[in-house]
Amino acid sequence: MKVSKYIVPVLVIAALFGGYGLRAAFTQPTTNVSLGESRGARLECIVDGVRCKGTANFFTMLYKDVEGINGIETFATERKAIFTYNPAIITPEQIKAIMEEPIPLRDGRIVQVFTCLSMEPL
Amino acid sequence: MKTRYLRYTLFLIVTGLVAYLALGYGSRPFEAYCPFGGMESLWGLFTIGEFSCALGPLNLSLLLALMALALLSKKSFCGWACPIGFLGELCGKAGKKVTNDKLRPGRRVDGLLKLLRYVVLVVFLILTYKTGELILRGYDPFYIIFSGFGHGTVGIISYIVLGVLLVGALVIPMFFCRYLCPLGAVFDPFSRLGVIKISRDETTCTNCGDCQTACPHHIPVQTVRLVRHRDCTNCFECVDACPERKVLSIEAKL
Repeated sequence: MKVSKYIVPVLVIAALFGGYGLRAAFTQPTTNVSLGESRGARLECIVDGVRCKGTANFFTMLYKDVEGINGIETFATERKAIFTYNPAIITPEQIKAIMEEPIPLRDGRIVQVFTCLSMEPL
Repeated sequence: MKTRYLRYTLFLIVTGLVAYLALGYGSRPFEAYCPFGGMESLWGLFTIGEFSCALGPLNLSLLLALMALALLSKKSFCGWACPIGFLGELCGKAGKKVTNDKLRPGRRVDGLLKLLRYVVLVVFLILTYKTGELILRGYDPFYIIFSGFGHGTVGIISYIVLGVLLVGALVIPMFFCRYLCPLGAVFDPFSRLGVIKISRDETTCTNCGDCQTACPHHIPVQTVRLVRHRDCTNCFECVDACPERKVLSIEAKL
């Protein structure tokens, strides 16, 4: 069956938009750390500074010994972190304060590595 | 209208969008839009259920969508939207004016060199899977160019690689796409099955060879009835170059 040459650019554009739309079908995180029981309130944060698995691991390390944090999922390309926490022990404001706390680097500088751009309970 | 103008418009839009993202204006890093990242993320997803390094859902969804596109319309992504394909084609056209296409390797050497892209694919995947990092991105022309020659992983070897690729593209059109592109290697089996392809009317064709000369991949269109070649990008340069009317047409055929 003969077809118009214009079908190809239409298909290319459809594939690019289709691929973009299909992204929601994949919900796997960049890191998924369980620090306690899996139940609790959930908080979604958009975090400037989470760019890859390395920074995501560093980010979750900040909460390793924090009481009340039960789990953290990070999504590097979305710059997103989802906390599972116990609201009786820790509040969203405290969670935000921990990530924004300045951190001493190897060269002696003390800098704020992560910035919470938004917080939303799930 | 010549198809080339339409293709170049689409190329420019996609390249502009990637450049816009690379400048940090988008909500995601530009790497999140690389379909080859989808291949690199597969091992991590299957083994630990996590994306590797700076890869995410968009890499994978774009890869799947472009595989479907290859099944429908061969390597149209390469010939209509890939910024590196665009650069390769422009370099090839510029180089053709200087070398007059005389430095192109013979068919046998060309065939052997094309196997290199499978080697590149395997090496990229093994090293990415073993380390969990995109450690070879410093040698990826897409990354080198759109990262603005920076981001720590780009060093002197990256500049040498980019220089070799540019000189190669001037001497042999589509040098990177032909011999080194790992995404092209992924698309190869899908492209062979592509439904939309160019068909040639053998009774009216004069075998002048203008189609092969115009083809960025130098596919011998004048020797086949249906172009099933894995490198065909459905760019339709051959259709536009054909001096006879209705010899070459576009068909949807399994």
